Amino acid sequence: MIEFVNIVKKYDHGIVALDNVNLKINKGEFAFLVGPSGSGKSTFLRLLIKEEEPTSGKILVEGKDITRMKKKDIPYLRRKIGFVFQDFRLLYDRTVEENIVFALRVIEASEREIKTQLKTVLQMVGLSGKEKFYPNQLSGGEQQRVALARALATKPPILIADEPTGNLDPKTAEEIFKTLLEINARGTTILVVTHAKDIVDTLNKRVIALDHGKIIKDEARGVY
Amino acid sequence: MTTNTYLIKEGYNNLNKHGSKTISTMLIICATMLILGIFIIILQNVNKNVETLRLEQGLQAFIEDKATDEDVAYMEDEIKLIPGVSEIQYMSKAEAYEDAKEQFKDQDYFLEGLEDLEIFPASFIVKFTNIEEAETIKEAVEKIDGIYNVKYNADTIEAVISISKVANYFLLGVGIVLLVVSVFIISNTIKLAVYSNKREIFIMRYIGATNSFIVKPFIVEGAIMGIMSALISFIIISIVYVYIYASLNSSYALGVFKFIPYSTIWYQILIAYIVLGLFIGIFGSAISLKKYLKA
Repeated sequence: MIEFVNIVKKYDHGIVALDNVNLKINKGEFAFLVGPSGSGKSTFLRLLIKEEEPTSGKILVEGKDITRMKKKDIPYLRRKIGFVFQDFRLLYDRTVEENIVFALRVIEASEREIKTQLKTVLQMVGLSGKEKFYPNQLSGGEQQRVALARALATKPPILIADEPTGNLDPKTAEEIFKTLLEINARGTTILVVTHAKDIVDTLNKRVIALDHGKIIKDEARGVY
Repeated sequence: MTTNTYLIKEGYNNLNKHGSKTISTMLIICATMLILGIFIIILQNVNKNVETLRLEQGLQAFIEDKATDEDVAYMEDEIKLIPGVSEIQYMSKAEAYEDAKEQFKDQDYFLEGLEDLEIFPASFIVKFTNIEEAETIKEAVEKIDGIYNVKYNADTIEAVISISKVANYFLLGVGIVLLVVSVFIISNTIKLAVYSNKREIFIMRYIGATNSFIVKPFIVEGAIMGIMSALISFIIISIVYVYIYASLNSSYALGVFKFIPYSTIWYQILIAYIVLGLFIGIFGSAISLKKYLKA
């Protein structure tokens, strides 16, 4: 599903963010990407959605080398990868429903698709009945669920969550991970960047650890 | 709702969201268009009046003194052969003297005694059917042997022509400056709109929006501003022109000058305004969006 082959990313000022990274994440997997700040996690994600280009190596997504992809095809790559941010990145002047429909409009979904997908994702993240609420009327956990629903609305085969629970209390964080596991059970490949040690340790999923741009650990059933 | 109607709606919503900025931008575009409109109208009126006068008065072709009656007859035949000439009239030296006396009827004392000296040259008055052909006819008449000078038959016209030429260049210059200013202003407004929507744009990019999807609402926003400015300017200039036409055209203050009725130029102004508005709006927003077209 996702494959990094000999990926090196050097920045202009000489910093090596990723140093010969080789990694394969299979379809339907649930993996954690962990490591201290500056270890290269963010660079990893930026390369995956082609926000940046690697200095050398190739990146395969669904078997296609995205480093050779044309600029005009980038939006279609991004439609395959749902993205959830630590700070939710919601539109605060729009309701829950409008935030989700926004994503469906972007991928130019039909009216019918919009209707059915809206219902499906709201159910998936447990927000049915809160369609007309504005983000500010919701708790942090609920806001992250809106962001999750928005990322899932476009039916991406891959979901990336960058510190999804960084702004949430432990109990809420646990619930969000529960939802992520459910989504994974439906077949979505999930990669979570996190510092939530306790959760990583209890979930017993694949853990990939980065440090100074190198993979220092990759265990199928690992701990933080 | 199709994607395009959605994008148009988004563009319209943007206008409302940036209300005061939208209004001030449109005011400036309107000002530009009004100034441009006034120049166009003045120019059209001057041109039309010049045409009418030229057509009414025709050309005067002066005959060399040494020409014999036969020569004159030959010249007359030659002029008649020029396509577009509708009427030709010979004016002898004596008639030219009478004509001068007529023109200076209160001060004709200084013409006394000049009759025998034949200082006024004989000439042809040449009239034509179509003003567009005036220049060609003038050139053709100038080439005929025995004709030493051809001019439009009213001195005032020559002055008006040179004024209208200057006005033409001035119009062009002012028009270009104002156009650049308008494009710059609208691009600035769109830049602010993009800035205030940067959160949306950021999210759109992550979701996988194409460039055209991101850019279209802003182009629509610019185009709506352009068209609305065009319509407002058109209404204002129509009212002003009709008012001026009604109050000045019947007075004698303007002499031979006659305003063109608005019914014959309104559509030209409307079309020019809409084309200009669309150009300013679309081009203005496009240049400010160029840097957002990166992935």
